[in-house]
Amino acid sequence: MKLDAHEVNEIALESRLVLTEQELDNATRYINNFLDMLDSFKELDLTNVEPFSFAEALECPLREDTVIAFTNTQGILDESRHVDGAYVKVPRIIEE
Amino acid sequence: MELYELNLHDAISGLKDKKFSASELFASCKARIDALEPNVRAFITRTDSTPQPCENPEGLLAGIPTVLKDNLCTTGIRTTAASKILGGWRPPYDATAWKYLRESGAILMGKVNMDEFAMGNTCGNSAFGPTHNPNDISRVPGGSSGGSAAAVSAGYVPFSLGSDTGGSIRQPASFCGVYGLKPTYGMVSRYGLISYGSSLDQIGPFARTVRDLQLVMSVLAQYDPMDSSCFREKNPDFTHREDVSLKGKRVALVKEFQSFTLDAPIAEAMKKTRKVLEDEGAIITEVSLPVVAKYAVACYYALAMSEAHTNLERYDGVRLGYTVTDAAGVKEMFEEVRSYGFGSEVKSRIIAGTCLTEPSRCDEYYVAATKVRTLIAQEFARAFGETDFILQPVTPSLPHKIGEEDDDAMKGYETDLYTLPVNLAGLPGLSFFTGYALGQPSLTPPNLGGEQGGNPSAQRGLPVGLQLIGPRWSDPELLNAGVILERNLGTPKIANGGID
Repeated sequence: MKLDAHEVNEIALESRLVLTEQELDNATRYINNFLDMLDSFKELDLTNVEPFSFAEALECPLREDTVIAFTNTQGILDESRHVDGAYVKVPRIIEE
Repeated sequence: MELYELNLHDAISGLKDKKFSASELFASCKARIDALEPNVRAFITRTDSTPQPCENPEGLLAGIPTVLKDNLCTTGIRTTAASKILGGWRPPYDATAWKYLRESGAILMGKVNMDEFAMGNTCGNSAFGPTHNPNDISRVPGGSSGGSAAAVSAGYVPFSLGSDTGGSIRQPASFCGVYGLKPTYGMVSRYGLISYGSSLDQIGPFARTVRDLQLVMSVLAQYDPMDSSCFREKNPDFTHREDVSLKGKRVALVKEFQSFTLDAPIAEAMKKTRKVLEDEGAIITEVSLPVVAKYAVACYYALAMSEAHTNLERYDGVRLGYTVTDAAGVKEMFEEVRSYGFGSEVKSRIIAGTCLTEPSRCDEYYVAATKVRTLIAQEFARAFGETDFILQPVTPSLPHKIGEEDDDAMKGYETDLYTLPVNLAGLPGLSFFTGYALGQPSLTPPNLGGEQGGNPSAQRGLPVGLQLIGPRWSDPELLNAGVILERNLGTPKIANGGID
């Protein structure tokens, strides 16, 4: 086993996920099985292989940097329960 | 014949020739949905309580009902990605693909079910419960775009849209007995598609004929500056032609796949389709894809989960969707929202993606996967130097019963081997109908019938689909080949959705 439940729980918390005992048990088994599957990459010589990109993306045609007005701001505000006037109020991130 | 039974081309012609009105077509489709939906459960949100206005009465799709997978944004209409975390979110903008359909006159009947955030291949991993296969309502319709495939199969609408990250259009098309196209990556704008794996996701159509796929693609395949991965100057021509031929075309089987086990009806379908291709003048050949066969599944899931973990970071309950208002602080708020809002499969994939992209493991797993992907793309590029198309199954087995999923997730992922390499290399893939397997696939010997008539739906058995793959940007040629296959193998019938 590559990762124990404690390590998986730490990773979950990094992702802002609090797992139940059952979920942690499932996630630990899942991740270890998955990492075992990925061990197969070690059979390949990847030394001189470039990370993938679509060939066309290398040409990357630029487009005009044009401002397009987005007028449905009310549509955005209507969807949040944390609206203050014309703003979405982000929770306090600096503790007092 | 009822109007809901019309395929897209015939519905367009009938409306144009004033044989019936758009209101009559709408009413017929709505009545069909009302009758079958208690069994099929394809919808998350219906928008057909009253006829929606047609934006363009002169457009190609004027008055044609359709449905969208619920990960395509629709202004002011609930869009959930089948997840609790999006709550009742109503996007303030349209996905470009839907905008193009809307501007061509299409009418939205609703948003349909899927696996949560497109993570799954059964359409059962949804916060809204499972969708049922209209050909046999005890079985899965496939996924993740199961609702889109089921809606077309059941005759709710003549065409629909889904998305395909690792087979999510092709597999449900095959399971439900319709045609589905996963276009070349970059052919159709992804703007407004709720992201899962952004370098793999692609929007595409479902329909009951290949010609109908051509019609929808002629609307969808347009450059969109809102999607930086959408390529311009490709100008694909999806015009339907009857005079297309496969004479002299090379169609390859994959050498490494030949020893893999297939359900008997799928193996029989491969033989039958090979014979059709030979009779049409195609040259059957073989290509070797050893890296694809051995490493594609691991490569795909490593990349998909890494991208998913990044894409799903944005769901925090602040700007949209499910939220809480009484959390002690920001950390507690994010944890509460995400822990309640995401389903278990999504959580597992987020954690796996976080794990793979941590600095201490990134080179060993994520970066290695991006390099394996390069080898896979190179392997396909070499193969398409030797062949025009590749023929292969969509899945090794026919749809299983709802609730019979394998407990071992990794085994479930391995069944995606035939579909996900196409996404890794950004290729187009057509899932096409080959006929029906009579009786229960596990109990009776294979006996395929591809004819349209003769078999009452109840005795028809499950549909069997296969897949044709082409090089990047060969989508029009792929659909032309599909027209010929459909002519020989037969057109699927509308499924009865459990109603005798």
